[in-house]
Amino acid sequence: MVNGGTQRFPASATLPADRDILVCIFQRGAADGLNTVVPYGDSDYYARRSTIAVPAPGMAGGAIDLDGFFGLHPALGPLKPIYDAGDLALVHATGMPHGSRSHFTAQGLVERGVTDKAGPTSGWLGRHLSLLASASNSAFRVVAISGNVPVSLTGANEPLAISNLNDFGFDQDIIDSGYPTVLANLFRSPVPFSATAEAALSAMDELQAANLSAITPDNGAVYPDTALGKKLLQVGQLIKSTLAVEVICLDADGWDHHENLPTYIQGSLAELADAVSAFHTDMGAQMQRIVVLVHTEFGRRVAENASAGTDHGTGSLAYLFGGGVNGGQVVSSWPGLATANLEMGEDLKITTDLRTVLSELLGKRLGGSDAGIVFPGFSGPLSANLFLG
Amino acid sequence: MIKPDPRELSTILDRLCRRRDFLKLFGKGLGYSAVASTLTACGGGGGGSDPIQQPPAPVIPQASAGYTVLKRTSFGARRDALATLETLGIDAYLEQQLDYTRIDDGDLEASIQTLFPLTTQSPAQLVGGFPDNIAGVAQQMIAAVQYRQIFSRRQLYEVMVEFWTDHFNIHLLNGLGPTLKPEDDRQVIRTHALGNFRDLLHASAKSPSMLFYLDNFLNQAAAPNENYARELMELHTLGVDGGYSESDVKEVARCFTGWSIRFPGDPGGEYGTFVFVPALHDNNAKVVLQQAVPAGGGQSDGEQVLDFLATHPSTARFIATKLCRRFIRDNPDAASIDAVAAAFTQSSGDIKAALRALFATEAFRSSSDLKLCRPSEYLAGVIRALAPDTPYPTDNGQLFLFAQAIMGQVPYYWPTPDGYPDTQSYWDSTGGLLNRWRLSFLSFANLIPSIDVIQLDYADLLNGADTLAGIVDALTDSILMRPLSDTDRAYLLDWLVSEYGQAADAALPLGTPEAVAPLVTAVLLSSAYFQLR
Repeated sequence: MVNGGTQRFPASATLPADRDILVCIFQRGAADGLNTVVPYGDSDYYARRSTIAVPAPGMAGGAIDLDGFFGLHPALGPLKPIYDAGDLALVHATGMPHGSRSHFTAQGLVERGVTDKAGPTSGWLGRHLSLLASASNSAFRVVAISGNVPVSLTGANEPLAISNLNDFGFDQDIIDSGYPTVLANLFRSPVPFSATAEAALSAMDELQAANLSAITPDNGAVYPDTALGKKLLQVGQLIKSTLAVEVICLDADGWDHHENLPTYIQGSLAELADAVSAFHTDMGAQMQRIVVLVHTEFGRRVAENASAGTDHGTGSLAYLFGGGVNGGQVVSSWPGLATANLEMGEDLKITTDLRTVLSELLGKRLGGSDAGIVFPGFSGPLSANLFLG
Repeated sequence: MIKPDPRELSTILDRLCRRRDFLKLFGKGLGYSAVASTLTACGGGGGGSDPIQQPPAPVIPQASAGYTVLKRTSFGARRDALATLETLGIDAYLEQQLDYTRIDDGDLEASIQTLFPLTTQSPAQLVGGFPDNIAGVAQQMIAAVQYRQIFSRRQLYEVMVEFWTDHFNIHLLNGLGPTLKPEDDRQVIRTHALGNFRDLLHASAKSPSMLFYLDNFLNQAAAPNENYARELMELHTLGVDGGYSESDVKEVARCFTGWSIRFPGDPGGEYGTFVFVPALHDNNAKVVLQQAVPAGGGQSDGEQVLDFLATHPSTARFIATKLCRRFIRDNPDAASIDAVAAAFTQSSGDIKAALRALFATEAFRSSSDLKLCRPSEYLAGVIRALAPDTPYPTDNGQLFLFAQAIMGQVPYYWPTPDGYPDTQSYWDSTGGLLNRWRLSFLSFANLIPSIDVIQLDYADLLNGADTLAGIVDALTDSILMRPLSDTDRAYLLDWLVSEYGQAADAALPLGTPEAVAPLVTAVLLSSAYFQLR
């Protein structure tokens, strides 16, 4: 039970030395990896995407070369300095081999960290967090910048879900009236939603003490005025505050480009690159203790459709940002885009299981929780040389 | 094709929400610590398919059977509706609600024609004002939903309109969507909401709004677009486990090649009407769900597929499960699903027959408080409990839109084709609960001159109560319409006694009960009592 404020204090913002803060961005809608990190060295890419392909580096509107084979979509230009500085690694032809082309089924499976429905219903991050000892009693240990808790956090102890941190709370005279205490009493355990109510009331107290609105971007960072930019601005405020934040989840929406992909993905990638690069600038040296993971539920078909778009496919792309990332490389055992090399004859194969990436992340940067429990049934490999430490 | 950047479109509603200064609107001390509202797409892709933990058995006194039925089949209990239900009995009340065309809603529908004329226009009319009319269409479509959910006497019908709007979800601000969705709403959803599922499915498949939203209008023999084919089976009929394969997705997509819509200047009809283009259709034979679709079928290929799907046992089960989830609980019992699926099949997809079977189940009749109401029910429920006879607000629904936006359920604004989640595990988040608490402060509307959108009079709700105990009991009766536990009543009273320095049963000075009532009301609206059904 929560008692009128006296027992609710912001926890100290100390994270154990073996852990980074994780910022997990889910690209909802199946982001197209092939027009994002472009395999311009694979001639089948141009054969199968004659209308929508991104030209090779050096051509008008061409990709930004990374390593002589892959190039960044030009809208990702702001990420190139981060890549060059070794703070960004890209994993291509990755994903989870769940075999589903349904957005909703696949998002559920990826977030649960399983490849079939029989697995545990909790989320992979939820299991990870429940395995780790934490001295933190902060309501802000696990946060979704969203109205709702994502599946990936299911199983963690009362994740917060807040779509706008500046909007979360009661005015002082309402607090002074004892109103929160009455709510705490009405929602005492085991009344339905008692745990949710207690977390909400604790969060309000912590937020009030943290005064986030006074925390402004550092190092000249300018967050774009977009949905993702607004969310990452708040992520930055949380990390720089006294709140003991450890895992933050948020969504980047709108990646389901069945038609007119070149136009739509330009906007989506620009929003992603502008927001993440602003965050990277804002965090400065703190990026040494932060990992940003960007991933999606599955990739898109190799061949374009008649609407200058792509239908649902298999392998895609993941991004990893941070000082602890073995960056400046595209990690990929490239399967090739010739028909004989495609999944079911039409999709980019998965050659690096996303669980390999996540297992290494857990082991080297997030405190070493048991990958066998977080990803039941996954036999490895448990590393792809993506992280330092 | 004009398909504006979706990120630009999202700012339209954002601006609508900011147009008024809601901090001033709600005044100091009413919980509006900040005014910035952002319309988020609200989170997790989940909430739908995973098994859900059932809440522990409620430790609060059970509501009456009549109240529970009313709460589950409406957008919130009104005292007069509860009285009607208790007079008629549950069965007769539900039959009356099912026979909705005989419930006179003429005054409300006439007001909608006057207040929200864009909702009544055809695509050809709307495209004339496009894209300048996007914000106007959005505002009027959303306001019409609010208006009907709060004020319609056809509450069960409006519940089913919302159910099918989610089932056949189409994001309003999707390219040409604002010119197309208003007609889909009238001709597909509202026409068939309590009709026959096969008719509803055919209407949706040929709806220009759906053809556009799921890209079927671009689906051509040369390179089929599978978007509609997949969602048709996964979301509209069989369900993801309904027994179809990736090959079926491709074959169904081929069956629908050539289905399209007319654009301005196209021959044979006006903009925004369905057209089948034989030249773009794949006329070879197909096999769908092990059934042959012979070569040369033309438009009938797709129609045959719709008939296969409408009558498939997986569809009956999928629709039955979703109906039970809506009216009973997140994880409905097998017996209820079986009964509803059987009625659905035996009646060839009659939606009323399916609902009658559901309303007869043991689970529906003898349980209560198994589910958190959704934001739409919360908002309409607050108005229906506090100010059932308030006129439609003069702000064109902007206050209500603000409420819907912070709670994450703006009508026609769910971005993906699966519709707003119908599981409490999605809605019972910390942020969700806090926003309901904030909106409970609508109970102060009568004290703040700038809130002219709800006319709220506590004299009626207080029913003459003039002590703190009397106020708690009167408002419990008139707003909750169900009993508080002795413990909760004592908590509330102890707080009021210390806050106001008056004994629980001391007669209060004239005017004081009306001053105490808004705070007590906010507490009641914030509680689990009000939010469970």
